[in-house]
Amino acid sequence: MEIDPPQNGAASTNSPNVTTPVTATTTATTAAAAAAAATITVPSSKLAQLTESIKLEHQFLRVPFEHYKKTIRANHRSVEKEVSSVISGVSEVAASDFSNEDAVNHLTSLVSRLQGLKRKLEEGSRTENLQAQRCRARLDHLGSVDVENISEWNNTRLKRILVDYMLRMSYYDTAVKLAESSNIQVLDLLVLVGLVIPSCAFCHGSPLTFQYLYLVVSVFQLNAPKPKKYYLSINYATILGCHNNSFYVVQILFEPKQWDYLVDQFKQEFCKLYGMTLEPLLNIYLQAGLSALKTPNCYEDDCTREDPLSQKSFRKLALPLPYSKQHHSKLVCYITKELMDTENPPQVLPNGYVYSTKALKEMSENNNGKITCPRTGLVCDYKELVKAYIS
Amino acid sequence: MELNAIKDVFDHVTKKQKVSTSTSQEVIEDIVQEIQNAIDSIKACPDSQLGCKSVLSELKRKLQEIAPLSQLEDAQKELNVALSKYLKVLDKSLWPDISKAYRHVEFDTHTINQIIASHFYRQGLFDIGDCFINESGETESDAASMRLLFSEMYQILEAMKGLNLEPALNWVAANSDKLEGNGSDLQLKLHSLQFVEILQNGCKNQALNYARTNFASFSAKHMAEIQKLMTCLLWAGKLDRCPYPEIMTTTNWHTTAEELTRQFCNFLGQSYESPLSVTIAAGIQGLPPLLKFMTLMTAKSQEWQSMKQLPVPVDLDKDFQFHSVFVCPVSKDQSTDENPPMLMTCGHVLCKQTINKMSKNSTKTFKCPYCPCGDIDAMQCRQLHF
Repeated sequence: MEIDPPQNGAASTNSPNVTTPVTATTTATTAAAAAAAATITVPSSKLAQLTESIKLEHQFLRVPFEHYKKTIRANHRSVEKEVSSVISGVSEVAASDFSNEDAVNHLTSLVSRLQGLKRKLEEGSRTENLQAQRCRARLDHLGSVDVENISEWNNTRLKRILVDYMLRMSYYDTAVKLAESSNIQVLDLLVLVGLVIPSCAFCHGSPLTFQYLYLVVSVFQLNAPKPKKYYLSINYATILGCHNNSFYVVQILFEPKQWDYLVDQFKQEFCKLYGMTLEPLLNIYLQAGLSALKTPNCYEDDCTREDPLSQKSFRKLALPLPYSKQHHSKLVCYITKELMDTENPPQVLPNGYVYSTKALKEMSENNNGKITCPRTGLVCDYKELVKAYIS
Repeated sequence: MELNAIKDVFDHVTKKQKVSTSTSQEVIEDIVQEIQNAIDSIKACPDSQLGCKSVLSELKRKLQEIAPLSQLEDAQKELNVALSKYLKVLDKSLWPDISKAYRHVEFDTHTINQIIASHFYRQGLFDIGDCFINESGETESDAASMRLLFSEMYQILEAMKGLNLEPALNWVAANSDKLEGNGSDLQLKLHSLQFVEILQNGCKNQALNYARTNFASFSAKHMAEIQKLMTCLLWAGKLDRCPYPEIMTTTNWHTTAEELTRQFCNFLGQSYESPLSVTIAAGIQGLPPLLKFMTLMTAKSQEWQSMKQLPVPVDLDKDFQFHSVFVCPVSKDQSTDENPPMLMTCGHVLCKQTINKMSKNSTKTFKCPYCPCGDIDAMQCRQLHF
């Protein structure tokens, strides 16, 4: 049997017969009840959310596609080049005064050249097909999510986001391990690897003290239509030359600031080229999430520990971010941590403290109709409560 | 959903790619054929220089006729159209740049790395966590303590996966006071799992002994549960036919493991869900409305960088509601300490400022905006604490 690690909203089967005496300290068990209640409602709004969340996956689809496109282009160019040189070869032979034997030799060499091209073409098309498969696997993965497997799918998504982060920060080993651990090899998460690592190698551990720096960039990333373009935009960078079309050596008149600037420029151009976001996905989602969760209450001492913003590190990150905004009241029962709505309306104690009907009913049933306010210690009768109408 | 449309466009791309490849192959094949023919005819009359010339010019003419380059180009053009169409469809149906709603603030890498490391450990991914700590150089970390805290829990859970309840039972025994204080019946749940396990192995006496030693202390609160289990003794060896098949389902193991995780996290002072998972999940729900806003309000994107509050409401699921937020239905302001929610005599709630305004600073009575109730006295409104 398998026991899944705790996942968001995965608490599906909580035994309904947990009869817990309600006290203020039962956060854990009551949160369980809340989670169980939340999963009962899985209706269309969940699906709409799903659709919205898939719309955020642009990079996921675009990156392998850019790969695919690049291969197609490169293959086409090499075919075009060879064919046109064979044709001009034929014209040359026709125009020259070769002896018959020489002409035949020439033509034969052209034929073998074409044979070579054919083999190359086959190889190229295999690569193309492989990359097409990769694109399709990602499309299929996005299509595979439904209400049943959503928690697992979300889990995978978090892993994808983390792999993206690892690669961008050049934590290569972790990225590989994480990708392997998640049984999603099909998705080839590491497609990003070849792309991102070199760009990051710039930022980490590069010697900053040399008078001249040689920046070697694998042309693998740069044989975009006009690689030079990306460098010409950078001041102080001179393209010394290109060797065998596989390396560009860029010499920079060195100054630390220029170096940072160059790294930045490179990253930007690089991300743009491959349709990747400039920032790690993790940062983007973290920011949005923290803003959405951030309320003034989060920074108070009695903040529930289920709230990520009860933690120092999360609070620190959220500090410069805006607070969330709500158009409608959302009331959470202090005791059960459940949402108070029309089915579980809020009731007011004589001292103005508000709890959910469910919690108060349970408390009064267990205590002969008496209610004890968990925050002030006030004891009152269940009959003294009044309903509050929150619109 | 649109995904199917995207797939269709992609299928078109692959189709064109295959066409382009086969065109290239054909073109090459044709040229080879022509050159081969020429070679053959030159070889056929080895001595005729003139013949050779005419063969060569014939070859040249034929190659022109095939027009290999324009053939290649045509195929490529079609492919290019398909490629750019796919990109357009992607741009149109998905958010092309989700960093649009990103605020450019320094996000401390060290803090993020700590969060990630803690996340790995608390999810039980110890290998990956160690690897990450190593690679990121975050050696002095809070995450290390997280590793210690959670390694015991995952040992227990790991053992449970192997149907070994002993570590779990030891743990609950050591923490039974606290568990009781929480009102958790985890202990009984674990004991009954163990009991059923023994019974399934067919040892009736052993099971009876086990029940005697372990169930006694729960008899006050959970008699019904225990009676059920004891009845099962009669079905020893044929448990599959017993009247309470639910005691044998594997979901029991799941729920018990879940409850154990919950209690364990609770004792550690940790949340049940990984805070990183929660935040990212909230981000995924919160991002679309923000992106919509940014697209509609490009003029405001400058202001966005300094806003104190999000410009649009972001509705998260119930799972993310950790705090009460009261929004005055009249002024639409969120309540604060200075502007608390007030309960009117009719039971409706407004914020203090609104009530002050409506009562002209408590100088006169007013009518509730939500019900026919008139004559509301501001002095009789009570402050609420959620």
